[in-house]
Amino acid sequence: MDRLRVSGIRAVAVGALAMGVMLSGCAGKKEQKDAAAPGKPRVALVMKSLANEFFKTMEDGARNHQRQHLDQYDLIAQGIPDERDINRQHDLVQQMIAQKVDAIVIAPADSKAMVGVSKEAMDAGIVVVNIDNKFDADTLAQEGVSIPFVGPDNRKGARLAAEYLAQKLRPGDKVAIIEGIPTAFNAIMRKRGFEDAMTAARMVIVDSQSAHWETSEAEKVVSGMVSRHADLKAILCANDSMALGAVAALRSAGRLDDVLVVGFDNISAAQEYMKEGAILCTVDQHADQIAVEGIIYALDILEGAATPQDKETRVDLVTAGDIE
Amino acid sequence: MTEYVGMVFVVASLIAIFSLTAPNFFQVETFRMTANQIPEVIILAVGMTYVLIVAGIDLSVGSVLALSSAVLGVCLVRYQLPLPVAVAASLGAGLACGAVNGSLTVAWRLPSFIVTLAMLQAARGLTHIVTGQQTQYFRPMIRELTSISVLGLSLPFLIAVAIAVLGQIVLCRTVFGRYMVAIGTNEEAARLSGIDPRRIKLVVFTLCGLLAAVAALAQSTRLGSATPTAGTGFELEVIAAVVIGGTSLMGGRGTVIRSVFGVIIIAILGRGLIQLGAADPTKQLITGCVIVAAVIVDHYRHSFRKAPLPTETPSPSL
Repeated sequence: MDRLRVSGIRAVAVGALAMGVMLSGCAGKKEQKDAAAPGKPRVALVMKSLANEFFKTMEDGARNHQRQHLDQYDLIAQGIPDERDINRQHDLVQQMIAQKVDAIVIAPADSKAMVGVSKEAMDAGIVVVNIDNKFDADTLAQEGVSIPFVGPDNRKGARLAAEYLAQKLRPGDKVAIIEGIPTAFNAIMRKRGFEDAMTAARMVIVDSQSAHWETSEAEKVVSGMVSRHADLKAILCANDSMALGAVAALRSAGRLDDVLVVGFDNISAAQEYMKEGAILCTVDQHADQIAVEGIIYALDILEGAATPQDKETRVDLVTAGDIE
Repeated sequence: MTEYVGMVFVVASLIAIFSLTAPNFFQVETFRMTANQIPEVIILAVGMTYVLIVAGIDLSVGSVLALSSAVLGVCLVRYQLPLPVAVAASLGAGLACGAVNGSLTVAWRLPSFIVTLAMLQAARGLTHIVTGQQTQYFRPMIRELTSISVLGLSLPFLIAVAIAVLGQIVLCRTVFGRYMVAIGTNEEAARLSGIDPRRIKLVVFTLCGLLAAVAALAQSTRLGSATPTAGTGFELEVIAAVVIGGTSLMGGRGTVIRSVFGVIIIAILGRGLIQLGAADPTKQLITGCVIVAAVIVDHYRHSFRKAPLPTETPSPSL
């Protein structure tokens, strides 16, 4: 009797597990063709968090491009589950070296920590192109390597958004910044871009705190900020997820009408908020194009058609008027 | 009441310190907004207290929360289902995860640490698959839930308080509650005296999954959206709150009310540090120190205590 009950529970558990596996099997199709046709270069795309909509768009863009250029190269796209997991990304690059790929296009999880392993790849004769998050210039100099960077200028993007905001404010108005992860290069650049434009327009930055790119954390931080600064006029968020949290906090405090919110990344949820007027503007870095540009550039270098140099990709301001 | 002296003292000190140091801290508005931001932590603290009392642990609550809000979002946005159906689906997802946790733990006698660690990964993966890794925006579809409030306190907060009160009553005043304590104290002894620990554990883990879904609803109604990365690291916040409340990681000891105090301590601390404008590393450093300090201060409650903890008193219903 007792046996029967246990095996009954086991059967249920196995059933549930099997269903989960099936579900994930249907949706999670991984194309990894290691056996390349001879002569066709193999390009490894090593990404940051696959959990992030931005990198997902980036990866999809690369996969689409590869599908349209099947005869030109093979793509191995890899990412790490957590964008702070430097160790995992390090291992990934070493795997790619061992697989003797021809080029590695990498969005480094850390702008310093990943320089060493990238140098190992270059020493093994692999072309390395840096995308999205730029390697630290000093660290590159210390290692004695130069790796071309293809990607957006985050600082410029942030400046565009903040300049647009400045038009809606008066000099002397108080503003606050919600930062991303303080050690991330793009978070630092976005913060600087906000500061550039706000200082130039003579606004007063009264507060700047990190919400680690997260919606619910941004809600708590903004909620505290608006209590502290009763006359705050605008909040500049280093990404859209945090802008969503900022809007939730302002709404709960009844301050949504007198505090403007700026985002970054142009995710679809932010577009909805812009239509409602809750978010003023955001910035589009055309994520789908960043990896593609990196790959094309790597192929050009492989063919000897390009000399390794930095290349900037497009950054555009998006306002409610841009969304139909 | 004496058993809450230490907790009340810690809460009062934190409020006093921040009122003196942080601008505009001591206001009704501060407490109202903080209260409205913690329902999901309170709700999960109830589930986690139960799990810890039966000498288990549930590391998957953050991921299950994310999965439940993802299901809610996808039902509303992609499939345009009516709100009650979407809410039911969301609760079902949490319940199912909890049931899997419970049945795996019971059927193979696996440590719940491992089972729920696996669920932490699996549910997060499912969340990404379900959402297509996109933030789901559904505020316009949940107006009915966001419009209700009493004295500025949101519906989720009121529900969370009700769940906490109910949770405490079930723990102290029902046979089920006493069985949980018995199993956590000595599972073998409980089994020999005719209690089936497997059934109780299955119910406790399933309940914790269901509460994770309720927490997800509470959070989603406030944020109006579901992010695939929601609830990352949330399990640690909940466990910290419950442990500050004096619930034993070894099982058999803990009360829901004290866990709620743990939630309040962490919430006030977080809010105060934000209003002070503290830098990120300072926040982390101070939070760590206060967690330890709170537990130490609470340790001295035994010197005030005249009556034993309620969970240690023999219950008339047993």
